[in-house]
Amino acid sequence: MSQTFYLLRNREVPQIGHMDVYREHGGYDALKKSLAEFEPEQLVDLVKRSGLRGRGGAGFPTGVKWGFLPKDGRPRYLVVNSDEAEPGTFKDRELIENNPHQLIEGMIISSYAIGAGQAYVYCRGEFLKGSEELARAVKEAYAAGFLGENILGSGFSLDIFVYRGAGAYICGEESALLESLEGRRGNPRLKPPFPAVAGLYGMPTIVNNVETITNVPAIVTHGAEWYTSMGTEKSPGLKIMSVSGKVNRPGNYEIPLATPLRTLIEEYAGGMQEGRSIKCVIPGGSSVPLLMPDKLDTPLDYESVLQAGSMLGSGGCIVLDDTVCIVRAAARLVKFYREESCGKCTPCREGTYWMTDVLDRIEAGAGNEADLDMLLDIADNMNGKCFCPLGDASLGFMVSAIKHFRDEFEAHVREHRCPLGAKVYDTVNY
Amino acid sequence: MIADAAAKLGIDVPVYCYHEALGPLGACRMCLVQVEKMPKLATACTTAVSEGMVVHTRGPAVDKGRKGVLEFLLINHPLDCPVCDKGGECFLQDYTFQYGPPAGRFEEPKIQKVKDGPINEFILVDQERCVLCQRCVRFMGEYVGEPQLLLEGRGVETVVTTVDHEPATSQFSGNVIDLCPVGALLSVPYHHKARPWNIEREESVCTLCPVGCTTLATGRDGHIVRIEGRPVPDRSWGWLCDRGRFGFDFAVNPSRLITSYLEGREEAAARTTRQVGQWLRDAVSQHGGNSVAFVAGGLHSTEEAYQLNRFAREVVGTERLAVSRDVPGYLPRGLNGTFADIDDADAVVLIGTDPYESVPVVHLRLRDRARALPSLKLMGVAPRSLSRETLRVDTLVTHVGQEAAVLAAALSDAARGHAVLAELVSNGLGDLSGIDGEALAELGSTLVNSEHLTVLWDGLEADVEPVLVALQSVRGDKPTRVLPTWGPSNWRGFERAGFDARIESLTGILEDARDGKLQMLVLWGADLLREYPDQELVRQAYARVPVLVAESLFPPAGHESFKAILPQAGPGEVYGTYVNMEARLQVAMPSVQPPGQARPTKTYVTAWARAMEKPFVLQEDWDPYDDNSGDLVPEESVPREVRPIAPASSAPDGYELITGVLVIENGIPSDFLKPRVPQYPGRISPSDADRLGIRNQAVIKLSREGREMTAAVAVDPAMTPGRIYMPLGLADAPVNALGTGAVNVTVIEEVHSA
Repeated sequence: MSQTFYLLRNREVPQIGHMDVYREHGGYDALKKSLAEFEPEQLVDLVKRSGLRGRGGAGFPTGVKWGFLPKDGRPRYLVVNSDEAEPGTFKDRELIENNPHQLIEGMIISSYAIGAGQAYVYCRGEFLKGSEELARAVKEAYAAGFLGENILGSGFSLDIFVYRGAGAYICGEESALLESLEGRRGNPRLKPPFPAVAGLYGMPTIVNNVETITNVPAIVTHGAEWYTSMGTEKSPGLKIMSVSGKVNRPGNYEIPLATPLRTLIEEYAGGMQEGRSIKCVIPGGSSVPLLMPDKLDTPLDYESVLQAGSMLGSGGCIVLDDTVCIVRAAARLVKFYREESCGKCTPCREGTYWMTDVLDRIEAGAGNEADLDMLLDIADNMNGKCFCPLGDASLGFMVSAIKHFRDEFEAHVREHRCPLGAKVYDTVNY
Repeated sequence: MIADAAAKLGIDVPVYCYHEALGPLGACRMCLVQVEKMPKLATACTTAVSEGMVVHTRGPAVDKGRKGVLEFLLINHPLDCPVCDKGGECFLQDYTFQYGPPAGRFEEPKIQKVKDGPINEFILVDQERCVLCQRCVRFMGEYVGEPQLLLEGRGVETVVTTVDHEPATSQFSGNVIDLCPVGALLSVPYHHKARPWNIEREESVCTLCPVGCTTLATGRDGHIVRIEGRPVPDRSWGWLCDRGRFGFDFAVNPSRLITSYLEGREEAAARTTRQVGQWLRDAVSQHGGNSVAFVAGGLHSTEEAYQLNRFAREVVGTERLAVSRDVPGYLPRGLNGTFADIDDADAVVLIGTDPYESVPVVHLRLRDRARALPSLKLMGVAPRSLSRETLRVDTLVTHVGQEAAVLAAALSDAARGHAVLAELVSNGLGDLSGIDGEALAELGSTLVNSEHLTVLWDGLEADVEPVLVALQSVRGDKPTRVLPTWGPSNWRGFERAGFDARIESLTGILEDARDGKLQMLVLWGADLLREYPDQELVRQAYARVPVLVAESLFPPAGHESFKAILPQAGPGEVYGTYVNMEARLQVAMPSVQPPGQARPTKTYVTAWARAMEKPFVLQEDWDPYDDNSGDLVPEESVPREVRPIAPASSAPDGYELITGVLVIENGIPSDFLKPRVPQYPGRISPSDADRLGIRNQAVIKLSREGREMTAAVAVDPAMTPGRIYMPLGLADAPVNALGTGAVNVTVIEEVHSA
């Protein structure tokens, strides 16, 4: 089953990344419609009514965010966050590598809606191919008259710049992204002021995720009612889920929100590989707590997943099977945050370092009984006390792992080795 | 912010990264507090206070949060407190005692980083002890505007280091030692020198320039080993320049006088003192009191000047008292402003002076103001551009000796018809051709229309004084305040103690000495050959006066002319009050004894009074403070009359020698600071250098009408063409031997840089 709904509908079309093919499939019709039929405020209103929520992880209503821009005549910027580095998440990568025009069209419409004359795409440092595809597509869009001065005779002008970061997860945090885009060290900024008030170069700035912006042409084409007809009242529309782990068909799947987790794994991703069973699932990227198999019927929308004890996040669904050593998985995930902590605030910088060492020690069989409670206490000392969400993000999986698999942790301590033996350690794919 | 509000109320909220001057950052997370109706703990340094807010600065949640943060800070901290210079005065220690966990739970290996790595000649960095509060990085980058420090690496590997690993060259670098809350940034001179419990740390004042920064002087075993900045609430952040912070070793410089010289031979100070007393007695008895003149200067305190003044007037019976001056300008007390006038100004005009070089910490203050008020009008009138990367100054570039005329012209233009101006320019304005009319109009408008005008003046052109008086008269009630940037640093204090600080008194004394009308000249810390604007007059006076006596920290220039030289006790060795460029009185406590046979003024004058067999009891309770003026020298009304200025002379055809105070070259030697003293202190513009065939630096000869001097100059892109700049008061290149103005230039030797 490879059903795709909208954003990925053209994934099988060869050369969809090229202007002529994209236009053959209806590309840039939404832009024409926007410029011809909508005033900017009407577009903001349309997006508000569609209930579109930020797809980067936090799920903040996009139209509401756009409404925060102060109307004081200062230049405004749109920045598209393509620093997709959350382990388990690879949806933006496909969107920009395979179908860059879809994003560019969304950016032009969004910039028109919010009144931005310049728009930036900040790509993750490792997205070499994606940024090259984008840069090529931007050039095509200029040549076709969709970018530059007076687009399609509407009087609206826009320039798009494609940037590639230096490879830092923290730059996915919007204010760190802006720092990096301005050429500085990628450290998060103090909020308030929020980017909508003082963002890039101190000017009002909207930072949106790639998937969020890519949804905009669809909403323009089919209307807000079409969008709200999918999903739930609070979480309407479509979401791309990235499924990884020992399933038969790992990959990106576009689902209407509120599709059950079980459906995603068993139908879209083709179920577990022969001889494997689900140990637990990380539903929304490495930053969120795990869900046990008894929660497989949870509908995948923001509210239901939260109620089940986790978060929908960026939609990076990592399925851990019964061969995975939970301690090893926790150690590896926390280590990711240790490597990616920017070092600005104390709890995140030192806490991730400490937890990694302790988890490694437990996994190597050198832990002791007190270590588990100490880990939870370290997590408590970090929780809510870090400067930006990265610190808290490092805790979700580990804390829930200790909660649900305390036996397995204690077995490591008691037996001074991994009770699962030297079984597959690479299950969390790195 | 909650942190500021708590501090005002005397409630302790621990902070590392936060500093009021630098603004909020929120990095260290030490200042966690509980704010009612907020779901999480908040950082006091980033949360603005609001009406009705209830904040708990202690409590189980807050205490656990702080304990956690301290535990995090300590896991990678080396805990080498027993060998750390900061041990005993360290915020990491203090807060750990107060809020920290009793024992560590961290058993893993600590991250290893660089220990005692260099920031520059004066500063070491111990990256292991660093808590990454970023105070140093932000101070250098945002506050000073010389971003020479940065964070390198990421996460737990992050370290503070210098840009490109090159030494930090900023003259404000030393402040990061004070700002560092832990033992990560260390003073090289103080490294492994002392612990807090075996030092004397006294409140003092820096006397090396007219700013008079408040300091803490650390003495150990009879030596000053450290100077730190001392913040004064609501007045000063406690910044120092490196000149003031690391220049304290003059007290132990090998050239420091610690015995006396009598007729050129080393002699016990007591015997020399008796001999001087005998000379005084002879001079007074044979030629009368007025045959003896006293010139005060150097780093003397107001009290010492007062004692000398009373001795001179009451025992010697002379009225010939002057202050050593290196520039001719004078500022009436009534016009003298304070640093608060910079904070309140909407316009600042720099006349001649470059604050970065002459009064460094005032440069920071100006930058602070310019950052707080982006519309601040910052203008300059000087023979060279005063603009810098850290402080943009619209400079109206004049020729030597035209500043007063240019200011008067701008003023006459903008406030046409004012009676006082007619008087001011009654001799005409002279030749101001080449001065840009638009810039002149803008200057005039700034001078007349600004709401709060603050002027910094270098005193090199005496005629600026009547212009300032006239300016104040034109502006009426709108504040017009002037800050004089010249030395000696305590000249206003000498005035307060009864000396006449106008240069005319000094010139009169020197002329009388040259004409054989003086029997005895006593120089009290004054080094006139180096300082007085006309070196030739000093030479002639020295040659003619029968008895020339000096009391000094260092042998004065031309010391072979002196019949006796006595060792002076310096600042930090005597209790004293010093008056800075704000006319503010500030007390410095002694931290050490004077070295060798150096004695305070009181010892000498009482000994001489005994030798002269005259009764002299020094009034112990004289206080330079006035009941009605707080810590400022009493206000005086501004004179009403305005003397006419001399017309500007025409621009010369060739090069012009210009000068200014460079605080690093103010005549007080320091071994620590040697790396910072420029080898080629003179400056020449690239276009002039090109014309003279100089690539990087050269030794050149400057001459005019038979007089000449050699100067070591370097090419400076910021230098205005047509000008050769030499700092004031260099021993081996005395500008006062030649005087400013037109000069002929010949290249003696071009020096290629290494």
